[in-house]
Amino acid sequence: MNDETKRNGPTNKGLLPGILKGLATTAKTATRTTHTHEYPDVAPDLPPRSRGVIALLEENCTSCMLCARECPDWCIYIDSHKETVPATTEGGRDRQRNVLDNFSIDFSLCMYCGICIEVCPFDALFWSPQFEYAETDIRDLLHDKERLGGWMETVPPPPALDERAAEPAEVAAANKPARMPRGRAT
Amino acid sequence: MSDVSDVTHDRSVPLPMPRVGPVGEHAPKPIRVVLNWGRRYSLWVFNFGLACCAIEFIAASMGRHDFIRLGVIPFAPGPRQADLMVVSGTVTDKMAPAIRRLYDQMPEPKYVISFGACSNSGGPYWDSYSVTKGVDQLIPVDVYVPGCPPRPEALLHGIIRLQEQIAGERLSGRAIAERLGGAGRLGPADGEGAAAPRYTAHRTGSAAEVTRARVEPPR
Amino acid sequence: MPEPTPDAAQTTTVAVGAGGLATADMVLNIGPQHPATHGVLRLRLTLDGERIVRAEPIIGYMHRGAEKLFEVRDYRQIIVLANRHDWLSAFGNELGVVLAVEEMLGMEVPERAVWLRTMLAELNRVLSHLMFLGSYPLELGAITPVFYAFREREELQAVMEEASGGRMHYMFNRVGGLKEDVPAGWLGRVDDAVQAVRRRLPDLESMLVGNEILTARTRGVGVLDVATVQQYGVSGPIARASGLDVDLRRDAPYLAYAELFGEDGPGRVVTRTAGDCLARLEVLLEQVHVSLDLVEHCLSVLGSMASGPVNQRLPKVLKVPEGETYVATENPLGFNGYYLVSRGDKTPWRLKLRSASFNNVQVLTELLPGTLVSDMVAILGSTFFVVGDVDK
Repeated sequence: MNDETKRNGPTNKGLLPGILKGLATTAKTATRTTHTHEYPDVAPDLPPRSRGVIALLEENCTSCMLCARECPDWCIYIDSHKETVPATTEGGRDRQRNVLDNFSIDFSLCMYCGICIEVCPFDALFWSPQFEYAETDIRDLLHDKERLGGWMETVPPPPALDERAAEPAEVAAANKPARMPRGRAT
Repeated sequence: MSDVSDVTHDRSVPLPMPRVGPVGEHAPKPIRVVLNWGRRYSLWVFNFGLACCAIEFIAASMGRHDFIRLGVIPFAPGPRQADLMVVSGTVTDKMAPAIRRLYDQMPEPKYVISFGACSNSGGPYWDSYSVTKGVDQLIPVDVYVPGCPPRPEALLHGIIRLQEQIAGERLSGRAIAERLGGAGRLGPADGEGAAAPRYTAHRTGSAAEVTRARVEPPR
Repeated sequence: MPEPTPDAAQTTTVAVGAGGLATADMVLNIGPQHPATHGVLRLRLTLDGERIVRAEPIIGYMHRGAEKLFEVRDYRQIIVLANRHDWLSAFGNELGVVLAVEEMLGMEVPERAVWLRTMLAELNRVLSHLMFLGSYPLELGAITPVFYAFREREELQAVMEEASGGRMHYMFNRVGGLKEDVPAGWLGRVDDAVQAVRRRLPDLESMLVGNEILTARTRGVGVLDVATVQQYGVSGPIARASGLDVDLRRDAPYLAYAELFGEDGPGRVVTRTAGDCLARLEVLLEQVHVSLDLVEHCLSVLGSMASGPVNQRLPKVLKVPEGETYVATENPLGFNGYYLVSRGDKTPWRLKLRSASFNNVQVLTELLPGTLVSDMVAILGSTFFVVGDVDK
């Protein structure tokens, strides 16, 4: 009893104004519309940078293995073989080309850090905000290159950068005035 | 503690295979459709919240995503009253016996969603010495939701996948035994490993294994 | 179990209260899976009736060996793992790692990146505190506030996701700055989100501030004195609620905090002296306001800043020179320190993690004895820990 009075102290006014204040908020909120997103019926509006699934643009991949080596989880599996492309011009040299046999990402292991996409020097990997690929068998979470390629159509264009952002290196280089070719200056 | 485990260490605990009762088991198809329909839209969920993914699970249960719309009810007082267990987060070897035990407490029919990379396969901690590489080493999993952590909508998608599965399921003693046995799901399809039941630790394992005490620190 | 008296042992019936009215201590396990433990903390309580005699937090149910894993990952991969130990403040965790590496490298971070980092860290602090403001009343039996708290969280998570791509684990820091610049118009949307949160925060507060039930459950409960705080190395809002006026953002400023907590800056350190559960709740609630102020200030600075890069060109293989350093930052839960020892490799030789929750949980052994079981959850919840931060 003594504890009770000490705890409640002088704030206990009998009418419980504090609780009434909370109830008033509840009553006020009850009159407002809900903020629920009706997901299965209405597709969520996801930002383009959202990390949902990794898409592969197979034509760009040179099977250089950089992504597989940089992956903290080692969840990218790449197989490739070399093919010889015969010379196209008379007296030219035959060239070697890497052909991708298998490119799989194990999404049960992937930690969605995006390092593979960042290190890819040929822009073969992209983030897609797609997230609907829960599976009943864990083996189906290993997406092969066809499935990864299928995600490409869901990849959104990257957002424009903030106006105060520095120009991307490519743009800065392209905007530089062309260097005068040496020796031909008149 | 140690002398207790000495006594029961090698004694396996024979328990009957869990059943769903004769009505559910032998119901003709129209009845089964109705039963499955009722089952899929009243999933009392038990959140086995372990790590980051648990926060996203909570987010999915809140006003913005609100999975009660899908008939998932997050007010199960405990595993004994739950139909669905969502394992969200990193399963460590120290926690593993507790997960197994709570799963065994759930009544049939029961479903498990593995939510996030950690519980799917260890995820970011794939090379850690103390992390179980996937909760499916302990209990049978029905739906795997990928992500680290998956967004709340991904959980909703996983729930829809599970509901589709429930709609077409036929509950029989044999189906349950097969699920707990997990014959040929991940192991070799034939050979010696196939016959060995995977998830029957509570019937073939020892009681001491499940009720293992805290490891005393070395003195 | 009390020793049965010889008489009782000889009877064949079950011995009924051999000692009569004498009570025996009972050991009660809370957890490891218990709704009030925010995860998997186990408490072994020794009870005398309803009073707690001894409390021992048993940790390690979430131990993932992160420190050992750091040693086999390069500095970019460490960021991914580091943001996962305290999953409510991923940005703050990343920040400590990159600040330590930048210090070892002697690297200057572009100003724009500094301010963006500061702002994101403060947004993350708000997110973390909102989680507490939702979950703590839930543990005390009030379910409504958590819905309001998560509505605001969703608002802020949306802007964080738009910039970084992740809702919880941002992976937006890089050694030398940030991953990339923010999208166009993002600063405006942050401002909208902050204003929305500010406008609706009174809804949440109306359920917490002055609520008689909440006050009765928390005032005078679990009083933590300054001496104990210092002995156990408790930090963050828990320490400040006991009157220990320490905040690394002001006392050892990093990022742009020197300006924010300077003479005319909007930053101020929130303290209370009572040290009870209510004081801890008040500190956390007021810190939300302070952090929103800081975000607004960052927005105004970023809006008037000259354009510039947000990161630096890094070598293909980033190696940190030999040496060691300790960098501590003020995470939402308290001091978060990284002790980095490098032998000149691309991976650290050792990266020790000093996490705030570990100390904040240990103080429960002092805090709980003498209190009632019914107050246990109130005290446990008010110490605001994240189990991953305890166990690493």
